[in-house]
Amino acid sequence: MDKFMVIAKREYMERVRSRWFLVMTLLVPVLISALFLIPVYVSARAVGSSSARNIIILDATTVGLGARVAANLKPDASRARAAAAQPGPQVRVVTPADLPAAEAEATREVMRPKSVIGYLVLDDTTLAGTRARYAGRNASAIAEQERTRAAVRQAVMMVRLEREGVKPQTIEQVSQLPMRMPAVRIDERGRGGSGQAGFFLGIGIGVLLLMSILFHGQTVMRGVLEEKTSRVAEVVISSVKPEMLLAGKVAGNGAVGLTQQLLWIGMSTWLITNFAPILLRPGGALDADAAASITSSGLSFGGLTPALFAVVILYFLFGFVFYASLLAAAGAMVNSEQDAQQAAMPVMVLIMGTWLFVNSVLLNPNGRIATVLSWLPFSSPIVMPMRMGLSSISWASVAGSLAVCALGCVLAVWLAARIYRVGMLMYGKKPSMRELARWIRYA
Amino acid sequence: MPDLAVALRNVVKRYEAHVAVRDLSLEVPRGSVYGLLGPNGAGKTTTIRMILDIMAPDTGTITLFGRPNRDPGLLDRVGYLPEERGLYKKMQVRRVLRFLAELKGMRASDADARANEWLERLGLTTPEKDWGAAKVDELSRGMQQKVQFIATLIHDPELVILDEPFSGLDPINAQALKDTVVELKRRGRTVIFSTHVMENAEKMCDAVCIIARGEKVLDGAVSAVRASHGPRNVALSLIGAGDSSGDGTEELNGVGSVLRDRQLVQRFDDNNRFFEIELAPRADSQELLRRLIEAGARIERFELVQPSLHQIFIERVGAQGVERGMSGHG
Repeated sequence: MDKFMVIAKREYMERVRSRWFLVMTLLVPVLISALFLIPVYVSARAVGSSSARNIIILDATTVGLGARVAANLKPDASRARAAAAQPGPQVRVVTPADLPAAEAEATREVMRPKSVIGYLVLDDTTLAGTRARYAGRNASAIAEQERTRAAVRQAVMMVRLEREGVKPQTIEQVSQLPMRMPAVRIDERGRGGSGQAGFFLGIGIGVLLLMSILFHGQTVMRGVLEEKTSRVAEVVISSVKPEMLLAGKVAGNGAVGLTQQLLWIGMSTWLITNFAPILLRPGGALDADAAASITSSGLSFGGLTPALFAVVILYFLFGFVFYASLLAAAGAMVNSEQDAQQAAMPVMVLIMGTWLFVNSVLLNPNGRIATVLSWLPFSSPIVMPMRMGLSSISWASVAGSLAVCALGCVLAVWLAARIYRVGMLMYGKKPSMRELARWIRYA
Repeated sequence: MPDLAVALRNVVKRYEAHVAVRDLSLEVPRGSVYGLLGPNGAGKTTTIRMILDIMAPDTGTITLFGRPNRDPGLLDRVGYLPEERGLYKKMQVRRVLRFLAELKGMRASDADARANEWLERLGLTTPEKDWGAAKVDELSRGMQQKVQFIATLIHDPELVILDEPFSGLDPINAQALKDTVVELKRRGRTVIFSTHVMENAEKMCDAVCIIARGEKVLDGAVSAVRASHGPRNVALSLIGAGDSSGDGTEELNGVGSVLRDRQLVQRFDDNNRFFEIELAPRADSQELLRRLIEAGARIERFELVQPSLHQIFIERVGAQGVERGMSGHG
């Protein structure tokens, strides 16, 4: 047991000390944060930009509806700092008779590049609550149309309420009510994160697990190969059993992977929580709902409950042990990096094959493919935690899948130990399948 | 029952295509320097690996210090220098040494202290440069060999096993190794080394075992082995021999025919400066001397000697064993 720790400690310290570990550990959280924050930033910019406001309002209503719409399209005073510099909507009050000419003029203006983006026509039908017309270059941008429509609707409502004798002050107050509505997913186990956040969480977990298992698994393989080609293995296994060298190696590198994951998750969460508000502030024009939903998707690591987190870690360990021991066996079979890549092919097919199905798991987390893959030991460490992020999985299924996975690990380790034991002292050509079978039987 | 460091009893190890070691029994007395001699492919490395429990024999038993070599902790008392040497290239020298010492059950602090002692002693730590802080692959080949010695000896093992220790050593490191072996013996340690260079074995070993084709040819104390093979040998040197090139026996007219007389001489080995002659079974050395003088030989030296290990090796193993072994693995 002491010697197991000596080996695991060496693996751990040598990996953690390496420059690569530092670079990867710092870089990945920055990349993950960027992945989440850039969409947040872009959408914040987009919503807050002038596109929805940089329009001409042709007001043919005679009750000043255009001015009210323009006011509604303006950002909240609290967020107006950046927006202040930008021009608001231009309101042109016209008579119904002049409307066609004004529209023709507005159309020409919209057609000029780098000018207004569209024009809005308000007339008596608008005031009646039936319709308003919009034409512009962003006519297909649904979110912007929706904002404009809401602004018009609210303006009409305010005018009508005024006519009914409601105090302007009251109307003003009511119109400013900040109504937010974050969507929360409810499933059999109760409340989960937001639906969007679940998607991000699912894909985040999947990518992270796959990357770490692959990366650290290959590190184990290269380490085995290094020990074999440098012949240091013979000195080591004159002191400890080869099985212990293998076990210590897998454990040490697994601990490195675990350390890295914890650092990644911790640093990413920190970066996102601290930078999202900073990025959102200058955008300004976000309405409350949009801001809330974007923030929640950006902060989807928040959906990582302690239970899910524990399961992710457990699956990482199982997946890592499974793949790392098989890759170690591949490394022990050969004498060069090229041969190792070839020997690792069957193992790589398993993990890359799993990756090919990730998309269908994302689209249908409870479909047949996803269900089957979450029970197979080689794919369950990636697929099951994804599904848990995406939808609700019963704890019984999780426990069952973990048990099958553990069984798979035992089998993989047993197989790997036998190949490893013989392979570490075999120099010369790569073994054929028949020789390999003999190693496994014989060892 | 003498105090044995290592004992093998009827050990057999088969590989797929051939038998590497067949029915090998040998005893290494504690505190001796023991040579495992044999041509390449004789089974030396396989034997050593079985002693170290790197591989298990198919049948037979191996004991270390009187206990089965599988007993836990026993291998902590053994130091091993494999034939193919290597260390973790990207690791700092001190950390490699600490790691390998810890694998032998040493505490890290003790290991560090011992490593520093050794590094200083072998000139790897000098006031100008501390190679212990460098990575292994920054060291020259000679320095790496020194580090490997240290790794073998750092835990002060009772039994040191060196597989072909002289191969690839420069003369300075070879001398350092010889000195180390002598010192180990003086301190009561047991040293086993394998070699196919008989001169080294003859100079250093108390006892030897010659194996060929996986079988023991002979074993025992070097003096006993040589005594049992002699003194049927004569060292002969002639005045002026070795000064001319070519086959001396041809030029020395009559001498050549005397040496080729199978009634007198079983075989002879032309060592350039002198002939090592093995007498025929019932031949008399004085008869040989008389015949040589009659043939006109001008004799500088005529001495009855015990055969060298090299001679015994050639005699007992033969050219066939050597050649056969060349292609196999040790």
